[in-house]
Amino acid sequence: MGPITVIGVDIAPELALSEHLTPVQVDLTSPEGPSVVRETVESAGAPLVGVVNNAGITRDARLVNMTDDDFAAVLEVNLGASYRLATELAPLMSDGGAIVNIASRAYLGNFGQFNYSMSKGGVVGMTRALALSLAPGVRVNAVAPGLISSEMSLGIPEEIRARMVDAIPLDRMGTPEEVANTVWWLLTPLSSYITGEVIVVGGGRSLS
Amino acid sequence: MSGVIHWAEEVGDDWARVRTELTRAFEVSRASAQAEESFVYVVRQDDLLGRRGPGNAMVATGLLSAARTAALEGSRKGWTANVVAYDDGTDPEAVQAWARRMLEAGDVTGELVRVGAGHIGKTLP
Repeated sequence: MGPITVIGVDIAPELALSEHLTPVQVDLTSPEGPSVVRETVESAGAPLVGVVNNAGITRDARLVNMTDDDFAAVLEVNLGASYRLATELAPLMSDGGAIVNIASRAYLGNFGQFNYSMSKGGVVGMTRALALSLAPGVRVNAVAPGLISSEMSLGIPEEIRARMVDAIPLDRMGTPEEVANTVWWLLTPLSSYITGEVIVVGGGRSLS
Repeated sequence: MSGVIHWAEEVGDDWARVRTELTRAFEVSRASAQAEESFVYVVRQDDLLGRRGPGNAMVATGLLSAARTAALEGSRKGWTANVVAYDDGTDPEAVQAWARRMLEAGDVTGELVRVGAGHIGKTLP
């Protein structure tokens, strides 16, 4: 794979600080959000070989207590933005390109995350459907991270996080790099015969 | 039998319709959970595999994941959440009967029952 241009999309302005990215600050849940990204890609003038759908938030509560707002916010960001961005960019993709959607191990079920689990389950279905409709030119897969040492998981109270780690056969949280390595593998020809799959990066937690 | 059987509606590929359908399922599920009653989602097997487009796929797989999470919560309170998936051409009465069976089976939760043989040899959702 030759030199590539990486366009980073985020709602937060801090992304612009990275020298390795062409930043686009946009709210992907806004009506114009995905088209702003498409215009940036088109103006870059390079073939679009990869898309990583990584937007995600949590608003946890037991189902009985979950508010309409918390349900809607998580669904709109985690699933709506991913879907609208993927369908906006898919027509621009080069043959041999790949889309990687970030799901979550929570798609298998996770206490207190009805909204998050539903949204990430939806990402899995979207991945399968796009894999079928974009084949044979473009591959579409999903990565489902488990407990990863990230801003999201570090918000979990320490005592609960320790119990969660105890249930992981590899006995630790994963690192963002370990998720990124899997994403990279799915973007490259190293995984050229894989499409429509969900790869769980969870340290074996789905077995314990 | 006490509980709710929720059939997923056709949504096409428009995000607004997907959102409306998943929100409808959420409202039904929350009301059931608050009443400590079981529920069953009914989806098409083809949609679990994404074979009828992303809209219907997002609804079907979203409901399956939601049922698994709800099942964890309900298991502490004595209610269940399950999913029945059916092949095209299946008699709706047969599907409904399986859904009723799942409501009655108080010791089965977080499960996917597939009516028909269309899932064999396909990915496990």
